[in-house]
Amino acid sequence: MIATRSEKYVGHLFLLALMVFTVLPFVSIFVTALHPSGSLPSGLEWPDQPQWGNFLEAFRVAEMGELVVSSSLIVLGVVPVSLVLATMAGFAIGLLRIPGARWLLLLFIFGLTLPFEGIVIPLYYLAREIGILNTRFAIVLPLIGLFMPFGVFWMRAHFANMPVEVTESARVDGASTWDLFRRIHLPLARGPIASLAILLSIWTWNQFLLALVLVEDPTQRTMAGALGAFQGHYATDIPLLCAGTIVILLPTFLVFIVLQRQLVTALLQGSVKG
Amino acid sequence: MKPDSQPPTGPASSDRPILPRRRVGRRRRLDGSGLAGWLFAAPALIMYGLFVLQPLLLTIQYSFYNWDGVGPGEWVGFANYVRVFTDPDLLGPIFNSFRLLIFFSVIPVTLGVVAASLIHRIASSRFGSAATTVIFLPQVIPLVASGIIWGWLLARPGVVNQVLEAIGLERIARAWLGDFGTALPAVGMIGIWVLLGFCTVLLQTGMAKIDPELYEAARLDGAGWWAELRAVTLPGIRYEIGVCLTVTAIAALAAFDIVYVSTGGGPGRATTVPGIKIYIEAFLQRRVGLASALAVALVFLVLAVILPVQRLTREDRT
Amino acid sequence: MPWGNRRLAWRGAFRSRGILALVAVLLAACVGPGAQSTTTSAPEQPTTTAAEATGTTQDSPSTTEMLAEGPSCGTEEVVLNAYFETGFDLPFELADEFSAQFPNVSWDIKQDQFTNLMNATPRLLSGDNPPDLIRLPSMVSLVHDGLLKNLDDYAAAFGWDQWPQSQLLQNRVAEDGTRGSGSLYAMGLNHSLTGVFYNKELADQIGMTEPPTTVEEFDALLAEAKARGLQPIMAWNATASGGGLAFPLQHLMAAYGPIEPINEWIFQKPGANINTESNLAAAEHLQRWIEAGYFPEDVNAIEYTDANARFRGGEGVFIFNGDWENAVYDGEMGDNVGFFLFPPLEEGGQLAAMSAPLTFGIAAGAPNADCAAFFFNWVATNEAARQINVDVGGSNPGGPADLPVPPASAPITNETLAAGAEVAKANGQMDFIANATGAIFAEGWTPELQEMVGGLQDAAGLLEAVQAEYESQLER
Repeated sequence: MIATRSEKYVGHLFLLALMVFTVLPFVSIFVTALHPSGSLPSGLEWPDQPQWGNFLEAFRVAEMGELVVSSSLIVLGVVPVSLVLATMAGFAIGLLRIPGARWLLLLFIFGLTLPFEGIVIPLYYLAREIGILNTRFAIVLPLIGLFMPFGVFWMRAHFANMPVEVTESARVDGASTWDLFRRIHLPLARGPIASLAILLSIWTWNQFLLALVLVEDPTQRTMAGALGAFQGHYATDIPLLCAGTIVILLPTFLVFIVLQRQLVTALLQGSVKG
Repeated sequence: MKPDSQPPTGPASSDRPILPRRRVGRRRRLDGSGLAGWLFAAPALIMYGLFVLQPLLLTIQYSFYNWDGVGPGEWVGFANYVRVFTDPDLLGPIFNSFRLLIFFSVIPVTLGVVAASLIHRIASSRFGSAATTVIFLPQVIPLVASGIIWGWLLARPGVVNQVLEAIGLERIARAWLGDFGTALPAVGMIGIWVLLGFCTVLLQTGMAKIDPELYEAARLDGAGWWAELRAVTLPGIRYEIGVCLTVTAIAALAAFDIVYVSTGGGPGRATTVPGIKIYIEAFLQRRVGLASALAVALVFLVLAVILPVQRLTREDRT
Repeated sequence: MPWGNRRLAWRGAFRSRGILALVAVLLAACVGPGAQSTTTSAPEQPTTTAAEATGTTQDSPSTTEMLAEGPSCGTEEVVLNAYFETGFDLPFELADEFSAQFPNVSWDIKQDQFTNLMNATPRLLSGDNPPDLIRLPSMVSLVHDGLLKNLDDYAAAFGWDQWPQSQLLQNRVAEDGTRGSGSLYAMGLNHSLTGVFYNKELADQIGMTEPPTTVEEFDALLAEAKARGLQPIMAWNATASGGGLAFPLQHLMAAYGPIEPINEWIFQKPGANINTESNLAAAEHLQRWIEAGYFPEDVNAIEYTDANARFRGGEGVFIFNGDWENAVYDGEMGDNVGFFLFPPLEEGGQLAAMSAPLTFGIAAGAPNADCAAFFFNWVATNEAARQINVDVGGSNPGGPADLPVPPASAPITNETLAAGAEVAKANGQMDFIANATGAIFAEGWTPELQEMVGGLQDAAGLLEAVQAEYESQLER
């Protein structure tokens, strides 16, 4: 295309402005986190004596060790099971094309539009009734259910795009449906499964509403849920709150930096695939 | 899905594709796809049924009762719904969520189109990918963190006011989240920050699929960035725009995390959205029936907003 | 700060069998050991009811004489599960001292901001890990739903019924759901008092040599402060902390009219109405203060702790607050902080103040109820606890009439204790209007007061809206 000089100039300026807009908030809480605990600094002001210890202090008072363990347990409870269930269902709908597959898919797709608020009230009472309220199961089980629409949708898209020849040649060799799944298609689906695993992990880690309503003890919650409680605790101490926020968002941040390319691709594929 | 608590905004919703495009030419069904096939689908369906569909039906059931969460409920027919649509305290949040649509949906998508096309057509690839990465960053952190960060930015001593003062606008400096006139737009600002990256990146992938020959032709016609955007890019990314609008609209209508931590619904009821109201009514006021009616209304509201968008974007792509 | 409350429970009105049974089976299959260990790690404390305990002595050898007498914490390891409010040190310090004296007791304390805590309270109490001790300013609906432990037996066992009864009245709930009489459902860790704190240096600048004796004099001081470019009143009114303008409003109400109707409204007496002529005059007065710019312009965004930090830092001549903040004010301001009771309309008129117990309750299903009740008794009677109460809490510890109030280390506390005696003499004690129902603060006062600040609500509309919210909440 023909970009005029001024178009190039203005275009870059615009992008730069958006980048500043995105980054400035992170810079601000970082700088604020370095101020003495308990003080009320103003937005962007480098402290005379940066209090690096605030991060350690936040790590300690936020019980980060426990939180990481708790969130990891929840992720371990949610993600593998979700992957297995979603892959199997995606296989059934996308590849086997079981009778009623279209309706089944529509039923799952409906779930994609459902706000959490629509089901959180009964989830609370259900969790009470079956005695899992205030345990991690209260987050894990509903999350598996809630991830099914996206997971199934995602895996179906993969299986639906598999060339028919792969399946047919296996059939000719007399493979059972299970063999077909286990031996032929599962290995071929490694990529999409890995992407799905990353996505579900981050979404689990960041889950807030379910954690807030279903589990009272912050150390049994997800990271995001714990951060909500941390805010309740330290709303009074801005530098410490900022330090705690940084400490808590650091894990996903690092994962993003490391897996950037895969993550962005994964996050996007879901929306356009299909 | 909506893996993320609040639906879409998080990374979560990010990707939710909403409706699949129909595939032309169906393949024939494979043998043994009947019972055995259903066995493959059953576990997912059971979990989905138990923890999503069942609660949804219960929400609908609750909504016809006057129930305080204890004791027996009392059947009240549609009374809760009548109240949802007549009581200003309950209608207000619904209106607020529509106003949020502008900030969570319209603005990020518009800015996203501009940013994506700049990255795609003008920026050097290095600068472009750096911009993409940076703008995408807010997507991976918890919404709660976004709320806390911006709560501080928008406070009286926060950066926003500092910047305003630096450029001589101290007269409009204020506690943005505590002022009736600005609280909702300020919350909307957080939404823009969170969702812009998602839109930009998604729209970029849409643009990457546009046939380069079209740009070639536009160039021969002497089109600049703007003319090219209108003639080639926009028509080429209709589907992606539709997905963006859908995802961000759900984020707006079902907002909870950001509002909960940044304003709690205040000042007054200026930023109370349905999610906050449902939480308060169900768990503080314990009007479970009323809260459920509002929740059901919200579910339908989301459908009512996104279904037309789907139609729009699907029309000429068969 | 003392106010707020909630209720909630569950007995299973909508049992969905079928599917649920299936879930239960699935769960049974996958719930491994330790899944439920989220609850207290304490060994099950044998909980005797108070009635049983008074008759029988505990079989374990008691380390203290007191232990032998009634309900106690025993000698085995106990972990008290407690919920406190963020920003108030007293309960934490009392808990530490208690553990020092009774080493077998340790604490699992969670805390949250006031509004969040109030939102969570009904769920906490009805959950499967009900707290042994929870901050709980008002409690009618919680009592109605059977979520709070009835403390009558403990009162008999510990002799609380021999104490001056006025300190227990606010924690009693009658069968018909009105407060002020009936069974005891909560205890105050101490008894607070509200009024006006002032910055002595700034007060000097505006020519205030002694506390105002009428509302008019106070108005004149505010105007003078404004004219000199000082912040006349520091206040908080943000959502998470709740509408702090309810403090000046209620003081104005008490100046403009009798306090009995206000108390009746708070105690949910049938037919009580907050929208009275004198209350309207009070609300209009508050509105004039707002319009005159006596409160910070960003008051709707100021949290409780921010307001106090700013007042301590010299921003604000006056602040309406309670004696629970004494220790903190003393720490930073020392001799520079003073206190007076809000003046009446006419000189020599009725003195009044909000005076509420710092109320804590025990969940009906609390595993360590005996120990928690023993803690209540210890707070009111133990010398060290009473000293902490005065020094850290800044309030009157209450308890038996014959126990002296220990002298306070902070001069400001001696001022408030003396003022408290005056109010008691004048029978001017009110509970807080924010405590009338569990949600009246979050859903009534706070948003309406915020709107008044924003110029979207006037005095008449404010009272009308709050009364309507009150009635809709009671109707259930």
